[in-house]
Amino acid sequence: MLSKHASLASAAVLVVILAVAPAVLGEYYLSFLTQLLMMVALAQAWNTISGMTGYVSFGHATFFGMGSYAAALLLPLGVPWWACLIAGALVALALSVPLGFLTLRLRGPYFAIAMLGLNEVARVFVTLWVDLTGGGSGITLSPELLPSLTTSYYTMFLIAVAATVIVAAIYHSRFGLELRAIREDEGAAEMVGVNTTRDKLAAFVLSALIPGAAGAVLVMYTSYIDPAAAFAPAVNIQMIVMVMFGGSGTVWGPVLGAGLVMGLREVFWAEFPAAHLMLLGVLLLSVVLFLPGGLMALFTRRKLVRPEVAAGPQERPDG
Amino acid sequence: MSRFKALLSMFVVCVAAQTLSVALADSKEFVVGASVALSGKYARTGQEQLHGFQMWVDDVNARGGVLGRKMRLVHYDDESKPEVGAKLYEKLITQDKVDLLIGPYSSAVTMAASTVAEKHNFPMVSSGASSAKIWERGYKNTFGLYTLAEVYMDPILEFAKNNGLKTVALIYENTAFPRSVAAGVRTKATALGMKVVFDEEYGKASTDFSSMILKMKAIKPDMVIGGSYLPDSTAFMRQARENRLYAKIFAFAVGPGLPDFGKNLGADANGVMGNTQWEPELKIPGAGEFSKKYKAKYGHEPGYHAGGGYGAGQVLEAAVTRALSVDRDKVRKALYELDIVTTFGRFKVDGTGKQIGKPAYAVEWINGEREIILPKDAATHDPVFPFQDWSKR
Amino acid sequence: MALFEPTILLQLLIAGLLTGSLYALLASGLNLVFGVMRVINIAHAEFMLLGAYLAWVLYVYANVHPLLSLFIVVPAVFGIGWVLERTLIEHVVGRPLLTSLLATYGVSIIMVNAGLLVFASDFKSVPQLQGAIVIGELAISKPRLVAGVLAVILTFAVYLFLEITRLGKAVRAVAEHPHVATICGIDVQRIRMLTFALAVAMAAAAGVMLTMIYSFSPDTGADFIQKCFAIIIIGGMGNFLGAFYGGVLLGVVEAFVGGFGTTQWAEAVAYLLLVLVLLIRPTGLKGMADVK
Repeated sequence: MLSKHASLASAAVLVVILAVAPAVLGEYYLSFLTQLLMMVALAQAWNTISGMTGYVSFGHATFFGMGSYAAALLLPLGVPWWACLIAGALVALALSVPLGFLTLRLRGPYFAIAMLGLNEVARVFVTLWVDLTGGGSGITLSPELLPSLTTSYYTMFLIAVAATVIVAAIYHSRFGLELRAIREDEGAAEMVGVNTTRDKLAAFVLSALIPGAAGAVLVMYTSYIDPAAAFAPAVNIQMIVMVMFGGSGTVWGPVLGAGLVMGLREVFWAEFPAAHLMLLGVLLLSVVLFLPGGLMALFTRRKLVRPEVAAGPQERPDG
Repeated sequence: MSRFKALLSMFVVCVAAQTLSVALADSKEFVVGASVALSGKYARTGQEQLHGFQMWVDDVNARGGVLGRKMRLVHYDDESKPEVGAKLYEKLITQDKVDLLIGPYSSAVTMAASTVAEKHNFPMVSSGASSAKIWERGYKNTFGLYTLAEVYMDPILEFAKNNGLKTVALIYENTAFPRSVAAGVRTKATALGMKVVFDEEYGKASTDFSSMILKMKAIKPDMVIGGSYLPDSTAFMRQARENRLYAKIFAFAVGPGLPDFGKNLGADANGVMGNTQWEPELKIPGAGEFSKKYKAKYGHEPGYHAGGGYGAGQVLEAAVTRALSVDRDKVRKALYELDIVTTFGRFKVDGTGKQIGKPAYAVEWINGEREIILPKDAATHDPVFPFQDWSKR
Repeated sequence: MALFEPTILLQLLIAGLLTGSLYALLASGLNLVFGVMRVINIAHAEFMLLGAYLAWVLYVYANVHPLLSLFIVVPAVFGIGWVLERTLIEHVVGRPLLTSLLATYGVSIIMVNAGLLVFASDFKSVPQLQGAIVIGELAISKPRLVAGVLAVILTFAVYLFLEITRLGKAVRAVAEHPHVATICGIDVQRIRMLTFALAVAMAAAAGVMLTMIYSFSPDTGADFIQKCFAIIIIGGMGNFLGAFYGGVLLGVVEAFVGGFGTTQWAEAVAYLLLVLVLLIRPTGLKGMADVK
């Protein structure tokens, strides 16, 4: 681990650079950075539940899409954009509490399977509710309703910072310790008195709020939303790959992973339009096989957690 | 500190790469910007559209350019996604500083892209979107080339009415364009006094239609209309045969208008009607010549997306020639005033930028060939009616 | 309502049974791998598409009928599965279940996007064996009938292989007690290679038959893997025959939901069933108690 001071100092420098960015950057870089910050926020959200507890969610794009739709429906009613943002987070919250309550009773693999199809069901649900959502035609927002790009940028920036602060706060708290205990051996954690159900649910709800808010900001930036774009499986892929690449269960891993993956995408995508998702797959596979701790593992001097434990609860074929 | 350095260097690399591409631009030429679907759902149609753009650029430059300046095309892949499209038009306008804009493929991506163009007050010629919703938002900068999805089925419905058909079964995919087609069918059928007796949306091109077809069979509609793309219209016809669904007319929005429809279905395609924006056989000046050149260059017949791509270029060319500059306000004014016939057909828009000059064409597969059947003056063959029953094939 | 006519009900039932048998062929392979190796192969449906694309290529470039290409495609994918198990999957066996989940997820992303690169995203199909057998009011789709019957035959052939042959018994021994199996002199790694190869070959066989029924594109797999998960949860994880019954059940339920509701609801039915079963029995209906 880097010293705490170095960690804080680099965080401060990064924050200052990003805060002054709109003053010096053109619109395109600003919109690129907005998307990068969005991915940081999403990666941190996934990290909060899956990185910390080992409960792998293949369905977090659902909260993102729900947030988008909440904002897209409220903005035309004259609700101010910041209130739409809060509404996006609240919708995600409202969905995550019952959902988490039901699915978190399931052990790791079953939870993963249950979450894998969530996205798809949300898409069908939103498509079928034509009266509210306009169904597959999507919702268009008129430009005068939308905040400026600079506003979207700063909002996304705040969400990304908030997400990172939440992860950092959890990481260094007793709550974080309990979550890691669940990841390493849930049964044992329960036995020493950890309220695993409450902890998992708390982490799950926190991890849903952030995509809800980020989704609301995205729709203000694109001005158009349809079910296919709101519940895109690619969002799930990106979240997972970025966290695994950077270092799952760490504070800085998702930031590093999102920055590198988005940067690489930006450079390579013009050259190889169809290949970049494939490269993400290769990246995921290599990290899982050869660097289970992600890039952050390269920075840590003493290993806090054995890599095979970092990926989830122990499971042997002879169980 | 090295992780911060890594981030910073990543960022610097990005900035440098982008700046370089801008610096290479030549001020002696006009730059046309477009995002094209080269991957994702619409990759295939996007590719054809791009060929159309490129052929137009080559032709213009061979003629010596417009206003004495050469044209250069800058294009990116929008992955068939609205949010990527929005980002790219932001890039084309603010970063690449293009002089002229062509819209993306598909109604969904155009919805997002046109908002960016509107924000910058930048006129955009859209050749790949036909949902009327795009022009119901009060935008001033989106100029449509395609016949509207809402009127796609009008000629076929009129034909059906004239032949005494009364009931319509309507199915459509749950995305923007097919839903617009369906809305148009409902309006037109009601206006003609026909009844929509079956109305169902489906979720995916890979849908299993058998349950739907069985329900339809119980209702026995006179005609079946699909707001569909190629894979679903093909699958539907195949399953209609397997389940012995009979109607006097089968018509689909996209699908029968494309060569692959016949390739996939063989003889089962015969008698199926459909819609097309454009065919090489249409009696439009330049269409035949364009098709020949296109085929020589790319090795296959141009579909209507290729024709539309070329036509979009011609519209821009005419607008710039009329405006005598690429000034946004002058080009916009010119686009509103234009009434011309391109290789793709007539271009004339109303006060919202919506296309009103171009008619809808209907095609039918007859003896393994795609023939234009409606409207009468463009027809290459008389309609074959009614659809021949499966048991007699 | 005309929908309740016996012929229509019978047609729905037949359509459901035939589609269900194809699901069953696909899902029982997935369950076999899970039973023997404790690996959930998220890329399983991608092997089905690999089979479909190979059959399509053979049809388009060499004019081979899909039923004939079964004899080429299935062994080919068996070989690919054998090699992939040895080089990749073997390394995640015995690691935490979530490691193998993420690894096969990576394989799936790579296969889908490689497919998009090679074949583009437009839908393909093979127009062979088209049409229907008509018996009075009933019309039964020819390709579905052939696919359904073949799927049942193949699944039971594998089942008999597992039950009767020496090698099959070795596979089951490894599934139940890998350590004991090792002590008994069974080459456990070879058995795992055989299992994985057999499972993806079954998926490929399903894929070959798919070409004559559906239109498919490189990302069609997502729909099928979701259904497979529902099936193996319903039928019991690791239970070969359970997956078969689960598959047939899902096919029938989907047909009736599509018939009485809408096809869009039918798309979500698999997931709703899955969630329902997990809520009632968090380890699946016939779940293995030892899967934590």
